[in-house]
Amino acid sequence: MSTTKEGFWRKYVFSTDHKIIGKQYTITGLIMALVGGYLAYVFRMNLAFPGKAIPVFGELGPQQYNAFVTIHGMIMFFWVAMPILLAGLGNLLIPLMIGTDDMAFPTVNMISFWIFLLSTIILIASFFVPGGASAGGWTLYPPLSANGYVNESPDFFPTLFSGTPLLILAVALEFTSMLMGGINFLTTTINKRAPGLTPFRLPLYVWFSNIASLIFMFSVGPLVAGALMLLMDIVTGTGFYNAYRGGDPILFQHLFWFFGHPEVYVVLLPSLGVTAEIISTFSRKPLFAYKGIIYLALIAAVLSVVVWAHHQFIAGIDPRMATFFSVGTIIISIPFAAIILSFISTLWGGAIRLKMPMLWAIAGMGTFLVGGLTGLFLGSSTFDIYAHDTYFVVAHFHFVLIPVVFFGTFAAIYYWYPKFFGRMLDERLGKIHLFLTVTSFIFFAFPLFFSGLGGEHRRIYEYSSFNSLMIGPYPAIRVISTVATIIMISSQLLIIINVLRSYRKGKIAGKNPWESNTLEWQTDSPPPHGNFESYPEVFRGAYDFSLPGKEKDFFPQNEK
Amino acid sequence: MTLFPEDISTYGHEIDNLFYLILIFSGLAFIISLFALLYPVFIKRAKANYFTGDKWSHVKWVAIPVILLAGADFVILYVEHGTWKKVEESPAKTDLQIGITGRQWNWIFTYPGPDNQLYTSDDIVVDEMDGSLHVPVNKTVEINLRARDVIHSFSVPNLRFKQDALPGRNITRWIQATKAGKFEIQCAEICGILHGKMRNFLLVESESDYLNYLKGLIKPEKKETADLVSVSK
Repeated sequence: MSTTKEGFWRKYVFSTDHKIIGKQYTITGLIMALVGGYLAYVFRMNLAFPGKAIPVFGELGPQQYNAFVTIHGMIMFFWVAMPILLAGLGNLLIPLMIGTDDMAFPTVNMISFWIFLLSTIILIASFFVPGGASAGGWTLYPPLSANGYVNESPDFFPTLFSGTPLLILAVALEFTSMLMGGINFLTTTINKRAPGLTPFRLPLYVWFSNIASLIFMFSVGPLVAGALMLLMDIVTGTGFYNAYRGGDPILFQHLFWFFGHPEVYVVLLPSLGVTAEIISTFSRKPLFAYKGIIYLALIAAVLSVVVWAHHQFIAGIDPRMATFFSVGTIIISIPFAAIILSFISTLWGGAIRLKMPMLWAIAGMGTFLVGGLTGLFLGSSTFDIYAHDTYFVVAHFHFVLIPVVFFGTFAAIYYWYPKFFGRMLDERLGKIHLFLTVTSFIFFAFPLFFSGLGGEHRRIYEYSSFNSLMIGPYPAIRVISTVATIIMISSQLLIIINVLRSYRKGKIAGKNPWESNTLEWQTDSPPPHGNFESYPEVFRGAYDFSLPGKEKDFFPQNEK
Repeated sequence: MTLFPEDISTYGHEIDNLFYLILIFSGLAFIISLFALLYPVFIKRAKANYFTGDKWSHVKWVAIPVILLAGADFVILYVEHGTWKKVEESPAKTDLQIGITGRQWNWIFTYPGPDNQLYTSDDIVVDEMDGSLHVPVNKTVEINLRARDVIHSFSVPNLRFKQDALPGRNITRWIQATKAGKFEIQCAEICGILHGKMRNFLLVESESDYLNYLKGLIKPEKKETADLVSVSK
């Protein structure tokens, strides 16, 4: 709609267009995924072959090992999962799905990305300051994170420009950026919907990314307060978490997990939203119990702020509290079980088209089942006495997060790439990529359950001090898991090739290659500046596939 | 191959059995859901059956499995609750007291001295990188967990026991080993650069060996105290 000519910088770099900003977020997130993957490669190599020089890195010291484990977790959560699933896809999709030209606050949107990029630079820079990056685990528990205890040299004492303060600063900026994004999402969704697009006609991704933004806003406050106190403990010498000066280290754990657990749902919900769009389209069927799913997600959002202490069963909280949080954890599993089963029910009776997005959605759900169900073991406080801080936990959350974050992202890339670049991705290359990634992922993560059951504890540089973990299957599991990690990371080359090659050589997609209903498919691919030729009017819900008595098996939302 | 390391605790079999119980429930749920997920993928249909899942006749296919899963969840909760109470909430009548203090990077073991009181001046303190915690077999030991610098987590997989130790707190729990032998004590909470080297041993021995061990430790300690006394006089 806008006809003004824009220069290169304004158009592609300092753009206020939601599509460019969405791409900027997504691409930055994907690059950070490679950084996080590289860190994983380095410390997994050290676990499998301790003390040996690591190809493309060199020798890894224990201090660096701890730092890499810490920053790997941070990157994958805050610089990969959130920017891609929430900020990236949210920016790309929400205005298109609700039939409008842009976000409600385009300039705020642009600023939010540049703040995010600044946070990324600070995070990376923290590797190169004296003392190295923060090395106290991604949970940043004080007093370890608050004092010089974390470092090799006993004389080292952190300043404002040491690893942990820089990490806190980076996380704070990242949160600022996500908050600006979340405000934009909510305002845009509430105010800028196309005429006729009532709340219960919205695509599920729009609902879920908005619920995720709400959860994020609810839960982030306590963490910001907690992080500020941590920063003051480090830099100005206060004693909020210092037990010898009247503070309490457990306080931080509560503030952290009050945010930390809902954060899992902040990432999970957008990914489930992506899955919902895809399975409905590729089953040619309405989403099963659409309204029910929304209510369940709202219930889960409320419950998500009362389960946090299941991360602290053995942290020194009063044991009587555990019962409450065990029950809460089990209750919150009920809405998510119902949502997953509703997705599965959507497939039943469908005329299923096994294209790449659908294959990723099915692979994601299948592996996520393992992650979800192993949560039952850890939600039970008694078994957690044994499993806490072992590789059982590591295996569990990789089975949750890799399907949710990566398989969800891949599904989204295969599904929406044609929309934003106008060309289809290669299906055959895609299938090889999927097979290699999913198989190597299972070989990487599943054996770790056995390590955990055998008593192998987390975040250990090398296990030579523990005879019981140097015999039996455990050293072999470390090697298998490492080799699988390397295969998993290197197979990502295939999707990079696919995305780059299809940019020029892919089949022209056309407006609606998947024959879907939602509004983003009713405009050109890629959508022009302003998104729509004329603003669409909406007459029906997002999932009217295979309506009885209709020739076509899809029914776009803007068709009468 | 067994999944778990050797169990030397009184309640370990309850934790292991709880694992197998949850494994049965979640394994069943996994197999059924995976089948439900993959089965329709292999059915070829020219046109989809239109249904939106708003009627009970459809919703029941989600609701009933979810209710069954919730039921299984509460069975798990019911089964585990007794063990949780036993391990965490009600310290049994204990036979002796030992203090365990985490520091970077080993566990310090404190035995009550001749006065039989913990944390008094005649305590026997063992503070070594490779030091062992000696306990008599089949005796209930009250442990007092503390930490000197950062958070540590006292973990003995063979005892199925794990508890964080925090600076500024004294956390009281109990352990009882039912088999003599030497077992590894881990630190399960990241505690700095040598976290991976923080390892001590649990030496479970007969009561007479245990008492002899303590006697062997008391002698030099007493001398030192006597010297101090004479100096101050």
